[in-house]
Amino acid sequence: MEPLIKIKNLKTRFHTEDGVVKAVNGVSYKMARGEVLGVVGESGCGKSVHALSIMRLIQIPPGEIESGEIWFDGQELLKLSDKEMRQIRGRDIAMVFQDPMSSLNPVYTVGMQIMEALILHKNMNKKAARERAAELLSMVGIPEANKRLDNYPHQFSGGMRQRAMIAMALSCDPKLLIADEPTTALDVTIQAQIINLVIKLQEEMGMAVMWITHDLGIVAEMVHKINVMYAGFIIERGNVRDIFKKTRHPYTKGLLGSLPRIDEAPGTKLVSIAGLPPDLVNLPTGCPFYARCTYRQDRCRQEQPPLEETENSDHVVACWRWKEI
Amino acid sequence: MTDIRLENNGFEDFAVREHRSLWLDAWRRLVANRTAMIGLIVVVVFILSATGAHFFWEYEARGDLDYNKKLLAPTILPTEEGPEIHIFGTDKLGRDIFRRTVHGGWNSLRVGLVAVGISLVIGGLLGLVSGFFESIYLNFWESLVLMTLLGASLGTLPGWIARQPMQIILFAGLGAASVFYDRRLLNRKAPRQVYFGLLGIIIGGITGIFVGTLVAVVCGILGLVIGVLLARPLGGKIFSSFVMRIMDVILSFPSYLLAIAIVAFLGPGLEKGMIAIGVVGIPVYARLARSAVLSVSQKEYVLAAQSVGESHGRILFRHIVPNILSPIIVQSTMGLANAILSAAALGFLGLGAIPPEPEWGAMLGDSYKYLSSGAWWAVLFPGLAIVFSVLGFNLLGDGLRDALDPKIRS
Repeated sequence: MEPLIKIKNLKTRFHTEDGVVKAVNGVSYKMARGEVLGVVGESGCGKSVHALSIMRLIQIPPGEIESGEIWFDGQELLKLSDKEMRQIRGRDIAMVFQDPMSSLNPVYTVGMQIMEALILHKNMNKKAARERAAELLSMVGIPEANKRLDNYPHQFSGGMRQRAMIAMALSCDPKLLIADEPTTALDVTIQAQIINLVIKLQEEMGMAVMWITHDLGIVAEMVHKINVMYAGFIIERGNVRDIFKKTRHPYTKGLLGSLPRIDEAPGTKLVSIAGLPPDLVNLPTGCPFYARCTYRQDRCRQEQPPLEETENSDHVVACWRWKEI
Repeated sequence: MTDIRLENNGFEDFAVREHRSLWLDAWRRLVANRTAMIGLIVVVVFILSATGAHFFWEYEARGDLDYNKKLLAPTILPTEEGPEIHIFGTDKLGRDIFRRTVHGGWNSLRVGLVAVGISLVIGGLLGLVSGFFESIYLNFWESLVLMTLLGASLGTLPGWIARQPMQIILFAGLGAASVFYDRRLLNRKAPRQVYFGLLGIIIGGITGIFVGTLVAVVCGILGLVIGVLLARPLGGKIFSSFVMRIMDVILSFPSYLLAIAIVAFLGPGLEKGMIAIGVVGIPVYARLARSAVLSVSQKEYVLAAQSVGESHGRILFRHIVPNILSPIIVQSTMGLANAILSAAALGFLGLGAIPPEPEWGAMLGDSYKYLSSGAWWAVLFPGLAIVFSVLGFNLLGDGLRDALDPKIRS
């Protein structure tokens, strides 16, 4: 079957006063319909920028999508007009953002904001949109949804706002939901609720979900595949099981090592990856992870490793020495 | 994985709160603020008396003169001198000061509203557009309109020097051309600016040649500068900084001096005064609106609105404007006080209202010479009217600020 999304060699840059920030450097991958993909990496590794590039929400200038193709459901998104792209946003691809405190407009009721997309994309009248909005709110687990529609965002808690944002995103039955660190600003119990909610809704509605996070632990239980990103490159990609059990990239290994484990002996120190990610203005010529890598050798400094298939053709890794890891 | 229990997320414990809009909340905070309520009462009394006098108490300033009643002291009861009561006394022409003060209120109110209206509409729109396009990616048509406008307004200067209106059109074309120029070439900044600079020199120089060599040289240099400016691929930002530099120029004049200069240019009269005060106030609103838009645009709900597929116009007017209203409302209230004060200053200098017309500043200017002969009332009452109306608007403005933005209250 044709993949839902097919990205080829996507490069996104930002022209700043300090030079050209190379935020996304030739990302290519496919995502099947109904697939749940985790995009993992440190801050500033290009996770969010690559997602915003798919939505074409990069601010141009200073941003620029230098090259690449983004095929979504048979359409090349980068070739669409602004108007056509607006039709896709919200209707086919929806997004949930990181900070639920600021992602709802304080001057409108929650209900009005959910109705917005319905009126815009589904040509519903106000009454029908309101009914649907109430349905959506109760679907995301907010009791007394009908009354809650008339609440303003400040009357919602953080977790409820994120639920409302999810209701908004799902209002038009999108084919792809991009969740950009939606649980980062929430406390752990609410995090679990939101994750469970999204999994349940994904199973019910069958949409694809791209879950962007810096926390491998969060995605472990919910996703089918993982893209590990570093300095704007995908450095490892595969099924969850492969990524966790047959880790092939030293960076992924480092990320996994930095997670606390419940079966560890008390007092064991967490491992951290020494050093900082490279400067995106002056990327090194070789492997971007060279400076922090414990497996490095001379070749790594000179040549950048391409993404290679490992034993499993679904599992690709960009490391010269993946066999040894 | 644990079971998913959507039915009970712990929310049932909370009663659904009564829904209140931000505006209703703000109104409640305003009512609870005593000084703001004093301000509001003063403002309401001022507005009611001014409009009431204008519509229900006719007063013909021309021909209102009676030397027999010249400079009478305030009286509350009828005296043997005459049956009429002048509770504020009379002025040098025997006119009733109470009547003139109340009618002067109508003029002050008009000046305030019109002047603030001018500053608010022009300044607010400029600031709104500047801030919005500085922070949001322009689509093709928006950048085309903005860059053409920018080219045209920059071209006015060489066009004016060479007396060639053609230049304005040509520079507008250059601005438009910068949009058509392939956006992907923005990496190679140097050539683009060279091309546009050269084109600017040609456009500036050629039309200047018909006039004279010196003009051609001056216009050529200006053309170079304009070309290089237009070549910068930052559509929204360059427009915004152009607008804001003009605002800086206006702000660099002392405001009264500028208002006096404008009145001197337009000629005296209350209407001209309104325009002068309005123009002087434009930069305040432009800057305020721009900075508010810049900060609101960074909010995630603006990105969220984009991600739902809303258009730029909808985002601007539905999501950004309502969120910048509170500082604008506060500034407008304070601005009314300021405009009343400025109008009085102009009137005092004889530049505002034309003489028989009752106007507080002009009344002060007419009467202060009689202070030495003991006619304190002719100065006191119009002066008090200015003080109270300005104070009222300022107190109300302060209260509104506290009510609309509870975060700044300590």
